[in-house]
Amino acid sequence: MHRKAKKQERRKGKRRKRRFSAPPQLEPGAPTDLELMQAIQAEDPDALSQLYDRYNGILKALILRVIHNEAEADDLLQEIFMEIWNQAKNFSAQKGKPLGWMVTLARRRAIDGLRKKQAYVRAEQRLQNEVEQQPDAWVHNATEEEIVLGDTRVVIRKVINGLPPAQQQAIDLAFFRGMSQREIAAKTNTPLGTVKTRLELGLKKIYDGLKELKDEL
Amino acid sequence: MNFERFQNQSRLYVIGALESDEVEEFEKARKKFGKKAEDFITECYALHEAFALSLRPAKASAAIKDRLMTMVRDRKQA
Repeated sequence: MHRKAKKQERRKGKRRKRRFSAPPQLEPGAPTDLELMQAIQAEDPDALSQLYDRYNGILKALILRVIHNEAEADDLLQEIFMEIWNQAKNFSAQKGKPLGWMVTLARRRAIDGLRKKQAYVRAEQRLQNEVEQQPDAWVHNATEEEIVLGDTRVVIRKVINGLPPAQQQAIDLAFFRGMSQREIAAKTNTPLGTVKTRLELGLKKIYDGLKELKDEL
Repeated sequence: MNFERFQNQSRLYVIGALESDEVEEFEKARKKFGKKAEDFITECYALHEAFALSLRPAKASAAIKDRLMTMVRDRKQA
């Protein structure tokens, strides 16, 4: 290959790497998530400590998005990591990545917590207030720093923000509030069939966007 | 149900948004498509990860980790 072309190819590769680096970026030599999970399965508390440092922010954000209460989110975060420790033996790398497993577990616990608590109504009110202040919590203008970093989070958010607001809302209510299609239809005063279409189209677009992202990695 | 329909339903299934009357039909199709279906469902769980990663990370109270690690170590010793 011509020297100039080679140089351009290398630059392109570097740009691609920087743009789609998987979060969080690991220090050289740091154990992978899978290695940490395996160590937790072998009951190594230090591995849990490292996994906590790596993912507490992401899981706390997810819990907060569901229950909208800082103190309850902290308590739940602790319970979830305890469950990760207790249930680690049920994790199978063949069924997905550790982060996916942890998010599934955290989401289920958060939604269960939301349903059980009588604070549901209060959370509803808080959510309403937040929605009024910020039309859609997913709609977020990336800071310059985030654009420069161009990390996966920003790319994913771009995919989500690219959806029509009605699709975003339907997915938001289903995923973060654990609502059924009928509940969403009632809450948004929308025909059930429309809710179904919004969910299907929105999820497909996000799924396809993720596939593209994966293919570029 | 053809496979394209099954794919649409799978994405709803993983976020728990299938209605109860749809779940039965979905499970039948899941059996019919076998491994191809299981592989696709596994792929769909990446949506969970994506939704979590789309959020701005939140800061947890410093005491949480201390409490957690104390509980884990106590449990391990017991």
